[in-house]
Amino acid sequence: MDLAFSGADGVIILVSYALVMLLIGYLSGRGKNLQNSLSDYFLAGKNLGIIALFFTLYATQYSGNTIVGYAPTAYRMGFGWLQSISFMTIIIAAYLLFAPRLYVISKRMNFVTPTDWIHYRFKSNPVTILAVILMLWGLGNYLLEQLVAIGQAVSGLTGGTIPYQFAVIAFVLVMLAYEWMGGMKAVAFTDVMQGVVLMLGIIVFLAGSLYLVGGNFGNVGAFIAENEPAKVGVPPMDAAVNWFSILILVGFGAAIYPHAVQRIYSAQSEKTLKKSLSRMAWMPPLTTGLVFVIGIIGIMMFPGLTSGESEQLVGMMANEIAGINAFYYWIMIIFFGGIVAAIVSTADSVLLSFSSMLSNDIYGRFVNPTATEHKKVMVGKVGGIIAVAALLWLAWNPPATLYEIFVLKFELLVQVAPAIILGLYWKRLSAKPVFWGMLIGALIAGLMTLTGFKTVFGIHGGVIGLLVNVSIAGVGSLFVTTSAKEESEAEEMTSLKVEA
Amino acid sequence: MENNEVREPIKKKWIWIGVVLIMLAIVPWYFPKGGEVTFVLGFPAWAFVSLMFSLVLCGYLSWLCATQWNIVEDLEEEEK
Repeated sequence: MDLAFSGADGVIILVSYALVMLLIGYLSGRGKNLQNSLSDYFLAGKNLGIIALFFTLYATQYSGNTIVGYAPTAYRMGFGWLQSISFMTIIIAAYLLFAPRLYVISKRMNFVTPTDWIHYRFKSNPVTILAVILMLWGLGNYLLEQLVAIGQAVSGLTGGTIPYQFAVIAFVLVMLAYEWMGGMKAVAFTDVMQGVVLMLGIIVFLAGSLYLVGGNFGNVGAFIAENEPAKVGVPPMDAAVNWFSILILVGFGAAIYPHAVQRIYSAQSEKTLKKSLSRMAWMPPLTTGLVFVIGIIGIMMFPGLTSGESEQLVGMMANEIAGINAFYYWIMIIFFGGIVAAIVSTADSVLLSFSSMLSNDIYGRFVNPTATEHKKVMVGKVGGIIAVAALLWLAWNPPATLYEIFVLKFELLVQVAPAIILGLYWKRLSAKPVFWGMLIGALIAGLMTLTGFKTVFGIHGGVIGLLVNVSIAGVGSLFVTTSAKEESEAEEMTSLKVEA
Repeated sequence: MENNEVREPIKKKWIWIGVVLIMLAIVPWYFPKGGEVTFVLGFPAWAFVSLMFSLVLCGYLSWLCATQWNIVEDLEEEEK
């Protein structure tokens, strides 16, 4: 993004953001021995109150990419991109399927990662290992995407004053530093700052762009109908099927992201959790909804951009808005800093979750189960840094072939959903069919993406994989004979008792 | 007393029938393709309808979280 409107001013704002994040990290960790407990470091002692929990859920689900990437999509797709409101909302429905019960069990058994639940429920190393691989793969790719986005946003904001690679390294170091000091607490409290800036920024951005098109959204619709009628027409049938498919893929995929599940574990109480989710349900129209409108207004402000050019839409609009007056100029700079902050806030949650899985699920479960919690936390922290270094190397030396496997996220992650969700309610669900369902579902999803068949009749490979996965797990479990003892164990595991 | 009742959303079929019906209303599969597009507040009519049902989904899910979910809350709040 080439932003003529900023430069030195942008650098000042970015440095201020970085300093605030470091300060929050320092304050979150000061005087506490977070490193001696997995739950204190990775889950903020399972004691997040309503404000921190709400904003950390928000900042985790909505990244800077939500703005920089979704506005151009609305620009290209037209009104069909309204789907971004519903697919972000349906995540709450997916949470309602499993969060209430999983919260109770996680408190009773002191879970740290989603894998803890899977291992407890199925007692099967193959299932555990496969789930860990799928989740780490999805998380790693998600982190990679955020790291690339940080560099693009920073070099865009500063008009190239801060070069791309320097920007990434500087912000990654800031992120690692505050995360090292304060763990989940630092992540959640920085999310409050990052979330507020993002929300306010979107509203001012929309106000500015509406002002520039004469203050009347009705004109925008009429303009598009006249010049690009395809963008206002009723979507064709395959687009409608695709819309349903994405509701399933994103709904289940985003709700069972490991960092999303860990936010269920981190809640101080059931009351805090349900209040946070109840408010989260209103965020899609206020976030992706407003970004959608911004993208649509962009069609009138900059008609006829090619697909590549449209990727710069947010920067181009910000330039125009910054030109209105000094107020808008400064808000745009603060907002662009906010976009960077929002990307960092998504990346930090993903990294923390990644570290917790290295620490708890791989090192603590398979390598050195007798290690002290302090040692496990350290392994997670150092492992996280190594993972970030490896991902940065990958970002700067992208493989010439098979690049697609680094794009797979939801498609693979969603395959863990049946084990997590069905396992909560169906006592007969057993390990072997779950394993084969997960493996075959992931292979179908992965192969479809790799061979270029991302969708069939509008249905995503991840959703087809998920259907096969559920069928194998479900039908297979009907054929596996479970003893009365196993069923009563499952009954016990999934019960709603508070005490173990 | 209703407050002491355990309420778990997955146990209530009507909740999920509601979610599916709202989803079916959000996705504009049922609008005739082609023809003249009418506008409501700058939105094509089909998109306006879809937007309204998207907001219904937000309100419905928000309300469900607040009222249809109560498992250990009373116990936890008592302990405080």
